[in-house]
Amino acid sequence: MGRYVLRRMLESAVTLILATIVVFLGIRALPGDPARTLAGEESDPATLAAIRQTYGLDQPLPVQYVRYVQKAATGDLGRSPRTGLPVAETIGHALPVTLQLAAFAITIAILIGIGAGVIAAVRRRRPAEWGANAVALLGLSVPNFWFGQMVILSLAIAYPLLPASGFVSIFENPVESFRHLLMPAVVLGSGLAAIIMRQTRSAMLDALLADYVRTARAKGLGGAQVVFGHALRNSLIVVITIVGLQLGALISGAVVTEQLFVLPGFGKLTIDAVFTRDYPMIQGVVLVTATAYILINLAVDLLYSVIDPRIRVGGAAL
Amino acid sequence: MFTSSHIIRCVATISAAMLVVACSPIESGPAQPSTGDNRPAREGGTLRVALSAEPDKLDPTLARTLVGRTVFNAICEKLYDVDSKLQIVPQLAASQPEFSTDGLTITIKVRSGIKFADGTALDAAAVKTSLDRHRTLPGSARTSELTSVDSVTVTDASTISIKMKTPFAPLTAVLADRAGMIMSPAALTAQGENFATSPVCVGPFKFSSRVAQDRIEVVKDPQYYDAKKVHLDGLTYKIIADATTRFNNLRSGDVEVLDAVAPTDVGALKAESSLRLISSDSLGYQGITINLGNVDGVGKAPKPLAAPYAGPLAADKRVRQAFEMSLDRAAINQVVFRGEYTPACGPISPASPFSSETAQACPKHDPNAAKALLQQAGMAIPVKVSMIIGNTSDARRLGEAVQAQLKEGGFDLELQPVEFAASLTQTDAGKYQAFQIGWSGRVDPDGNIANFVRTNGSQNVCGYSNAEVDGWLDQARRNPDVATRRELYGKVITKLHDDVPLIYLYRQKNFTGVSSKIVGVQVFGDGLVRLGTAGFAA
Repeated sequence: MGRYVLRRMLESAVTLILATIVVFLGIRALPGDPARTLAGEESDPATLAAIRQTYGLDQPLPVQYVRYVQKAATGDLGRSPRTGLPVAETIGHALPVTLQLAAFAITIAILIGIGAGVIAAVRRRRPAEWGANAVALLGLSVPNFWFGQMVILSLAIAYPLLPASGFVSIFENPVESFRHLLMPAVVLGSGLAAIIMRQTRSAMLDALLADYVRTARAKGLGGAQVVFGHALRNSLIVVITIVGLQLGALISGAVVTEQLFVLPGFGKLTIDAVFTRDYPMIQGVVLVTATAYILINLAVDLLYSVIDPRIRVGGAAL
Repeated sequence: MFTSSHIIRCVATISAAMLVVACSPIESGPAQPSTGDNRPAREGGTLRVALSAEPDKLDPTLARTLVGRTVFNAICEKLYDVDSKLQIVPQLAASQPEFSTDGLTITIKVRSGIKFADGTALDAAAVKTSLDRHRTLPGSARTSELTSVDSVTVTDASTISIKMKTPFAPLTAVLADRAGMIMSPAALTAQGENFATSPVCVGPFKFSSRVAQDRIEVVKDPQYYDAKKVHLDGLTYKIIADATTRFNNLRSGDVEVLDAVAPTDVGALKAESSLRLISSDSLGYQGITINLGNVDGVGKAPKPLAAPYAGPLAADKRVRQAFEMSLDRAAINQVVFRGEYTPACGPISPASPFSSETAQACPKHDPNAAKALLQQAGMAIPVKVSMIIGNTSDARRLGEAVQAQLKEGGFDLELQPVEFAASLTQTDAGKYQAFQIGWSGRVDPDGNIANFVRTNGSQNVCGYSNAEVDGWLDQARRNPDVATRRELYGKVITKLHDDVPLIYLYRQKNFTGVSSKIVGVQVFGDGLVRLGTAGFAA
């Protein structure tokens, strides 16, 4: 197990370095001069030259990259040339917002998805399954920006029950945090709930026909024990894989949700940084994202063994 | 619990919001500067203001964004300001500047008894510190605005003397913007290059905190000289980039003031009894810049263009005149902006004291005459041209309207949608035939004309050069007399209509949405939302 984790960590370091190089070169390959964007309306050649000099944009690319890596290695991600605020501090503000939103959205998606998936499998070819399928289809088909607008129009404007925008940390005020994040989390989690529901249903249908379930029933176990204790537990392997794979999509999807509900999160930060050609911010964001992806993948692999003891990391099977 | 009638009402609300709301046009012509109503305000409360974009550095020397000026308006006062009629009035200065007869020395008296938000005193030495920092700090965005200033000296505790390299009449207007903002020398010393993270100036409010991408908070400054007139405890600026989301937040009561209402939302806003619309003509314009000789980049000497950027537009001014005659500005305003903006034919707002009949003259829309002119110029119809436009939905709608109108005038316009930052780089380098772009506008017309059409001007993207125009612009810079300058700018605009390096299309309006609970919000022609005396209605 220890060797496996170490090997994965080394692989991750290489991935991380490659990711920083690709992004470093990629953003510089974008058309559009960051100095011109920074200069705003009042640009002239002297101003542009001064901006390039101030932010080291006039240096050769390898020099810029080495400087960036040297600073990043010491935890200094630089300052945003646009706002003058430290990149690490800005990411530090944005990351908890997206993490809270993602955690809330996943919780909602899992509760709805697994619940509906189990009902659809157990109540096969009955109205309950059709209803669950219809909801899943809607969740997959309706784009977040439209769904978001609709819930804002109904629950914030027509019936002002929830705030239309803003973020309150769960550690500051849990009730207000819940109120502010409920709509965005439902909107963000709707697509994932649909995917989880379909996967749960499919895995549960397979499991309910499996020999060990028949044996469990033959031993006289009750319906709930068979469904939740045996069939669902095995089906969760698929669900965890899906959640792990979809986590990235969820964070990408958070871009739209964050814009819509004015949440100062990671997605909004990334998009704004790209449009303003804020190189230090984009690089910082990518570094944090790449690290998060690598850690999540590792965590998902390790979770397999917790859920299903037949899978053991570090053994011959891996 | 939702009843069926609730659900029906809810669905009806959603449906209504999704429908396009027809809007009654706003009258064009000189705008009446709008102010808040006269209801009394109660003391206290924090006003939430939605901004359309994230301000950049909150340092008057380094700041470059238009939206940042709205925040500065609350926390950083200037030597001069504009009033509701766009006349320049003293703010931190005690009186209008005194120009020497040769225009090379300007004396400014500074108000006494004023304190910065950190409690230190504002005096002539503090003014000199700020002006010198604006002029000389590496990376300063104010350097080009103050390039004509040679030196600043402190004459006495409340007087400074500015020595000019050349006479520059627009200096007063420059000092009525960020270049005239005075920062606390103590704070500058203490914070150094990080002044932007905690700016200290003189204003009804003082900086409190900032969370990037989210909000900027300012609180009432008890040291402010006019603190008795300030009703609010503070302001929270929320950054909401999307226009629809911004509007929804105003409707839901999550913000009380909305900067930059989209023209498509104006009708819906007017229909809401709980909201109020404040509008004023912008000082800026939107138009089409034509590449006449920008080969080596902006600011460089014009040269003959080569393929693929050379074309009939650059080659013959009759083609450009035909291009302009093909355009129906009123129809563009009606079709693209629902009649909410104002057709414009020149760079000077009708609301400006420098406006004149000549400055507002407009080439006639006549597609048949345009075709005839093209034939006279020996062009094969349709004349093919290309134009860079933004990649937003508004820019595309505008581009398509222009394309359709030009077709009637004998042109075949190819639209090239390009992302904004990329379009600036491309057009600065001269890699274009025509470019749809605008300018946010300045109080003094020099800021709206000279850099764009003066030979080698810093924003002369079209590569235009005309000795007469340069001469008139220089004369206007040297002469502080408004009537003389008005006449000179009239001559410039007449010549520009003949040469057509730029085609002015329309002037945006500054639309500010305000909750009816709020009083005292002021918006003048410069578009800044002034909240110093705003408050919640008593």
